Amino acid sequence: MATEFQDRVDLKTDEMIINMGPQHPATHGVLRLLLNLDGETVKHVEPVLGHLHRAQEWQGQNRTWFQYQALIDRVDYLSGMFTSWAMARACESIDGMVVPPRAEYLRVIVGEMNRITSHLLWLGTYLIDLGAMFGFPFYPFREREKLFDLFEEIAGQRMMYNYIRIGGVLRDPKPQWFDKLSKFLDEFPDRIDEYEAIVTENPIFLNRTKGIGILKQSVAKDYAVTGPCARCSGIPIDLRKDKPYSIYPEIEFESIGYNKDGDTWDRYMARILEMRESIKIIRQCLAKIPEGDIIAKKQAAGMRVKAGEGFAAVESPRGILGCYVISTGTDKPYRFRWRNPSFCNLSVLPELLVGAPIADIMAIFGSIDVILPDVDR
Amino acid sequence: MSTETKPPEPQAPLPAGQYGQFLSEHGINSERLPDSLGAETIVLAKQDLDSAIKLLRNSSEINLDLLITISGVDMADSIDAVYHLWSYSHKGELVIKVRALKTEIPQDQLPTVPSIARFWPSANWHERETYDLVGIRFTGHPYMRRILNPWDWDGHPLRRDYKQPVDCLNDKNPHSFR
Repeated sequence: MATEFQDRVDLKTDEMIINMGPQHPATHGVLRLLLNLDGETVKHVEPVLGHLHRAQEWQGQNRTWFQYQALIDRVDYLSGMFTSWAMARACESIDGMVVPPRAEYLRVIVGEMNRITSHLLWLGTYLIDLGAMFGFPFYPFREREKLFDLFEEIAGQRMMYNYIRIGGVLRDPKPQWFDKLSKFLDEFPDRIDEYEAIVTENPIFLNRTKGIGILKQSVAKDYAVTGPCARCSGIPIDLRKDKPYSIYPEIEFESIGYNKDGDTWDRYMARILEMRESIKIIRQCLAKIPEGDIIAKKQAAGMRVKAGEGFAAVESPRGILGCYVISTGTDKPYRFRWRNPSFCNLSVLPELLVGAPIADIMAIFGSIDVILPDVDR
Repeated sequence: MSTETKPPEPQAPLPAGQYGQFLSEHGINSERLPDSLGAETIVLAKQDLDSAIKLLRNSSEINLDLLITISGVDMADSIDAVYHLWSYSHKGELVIKVRALKTEIPQDQLPTVPSIARFWPSANWHERETYDLVGIRFTGHPYMRRILNPWDWDGHPLRRDYKQPVDCLNDKNPHSFR
């Protein structure tokens, strides 16, 4: 970067390597980025992963099915329902188990609630990343706590639910629980309006997010990006529509793709709209939910899954969350493989960051909504 | 009267599915396995992998352009690289297995499979992870290094014969710290 000053004094410039993280407050976990900088412009990025590696796949094949079920919420701790759901779907399809309809409705209800809590946390932390003290302890967390109270009532836990089990769900909520949930749904749209009034048209926010971190459609396809990030780049991929599972075919909803440019502001907007869509889905489920059993077969500690192999996926808040299971019919899985949306979406980061100023790194990184435990497993 | 037991009839090879047929039209042989949860499963030879994946990804009618995941599996007699291919535009699904027979792997060496990361960037991290955890060396990969474990880690944890390192903090081993 030659300036007038350099021309006069004949100053040599050089690229500088800066280490960002692993202990960085805005990396949503522990991510290390090796940055090559020319002045303030990023020339090259190398993400260094593995600081949160907990050997989830190794633990899967060294524990029984029943034991491992309790651990898989930790794969992606912000959307634990979806990790359980992916594993349950894989095992049920291998086993040929039919899930009772009430359990399917409950799964969709808790799944969409979990999608809302995940997007709320993203909204709070993202604004903190941008320097706005709007988020983390304030507005979005007010609603998130209410949903956590509801989760606590049915699963006994606020974040690591272990609620969706192979063959159904753990517990049938009491009628009052549904009343509380519908009361929450009545007031939640106003709360989203409140966030939007503060953020959406805020000039500082627009300056920080409009037109930066543009993810082109071809790049997104090359890097197997899924979820809201892909939909914002104009790729209409939503498993709930494309390969419908559970009771999604019976429900009317839109798959949100806010594809104007594919920049960070669009990704923000898509998540806001997705929360509104989730409200619609839960409302329809509450109206339609039938009575009946909640689990196909009561689980015991020595449970087994028939021999076979298969891959099952669900649409998590971050994209396609899949689970490849190989069972040999013993009490332990033979091989467990996770397909994590964060891992694939993060691999596109170097493409987005090159050429951006250093101050935009966190704005771009935050907008693809990566959860590091989901990356490192 | 003793009932005569017939030896089990040898199973006829499964007829090629949609993708197997497409590949054989382009001169690539594949062996079909039983479907896994509705997805066609084929076994490819190592040397055909590159051209087969390029064909499947770029042809307009097949268009399997979403690489879901690459997994390594340590089976009883072989080490498999398993590719799950989906499509962004339609519902097609294909599972490709590439086998490295354990009898053909030289002593103290890793099985090799050609890398597809050169032309498909999303394979890059998946292949590094498979190398790290299962120990398959992807030849031609631009940066074949461990990704999740530390760079100086011994062994490949998801192998069946993997031995855990001595736990230097919690073990009652004389070599440990306490």
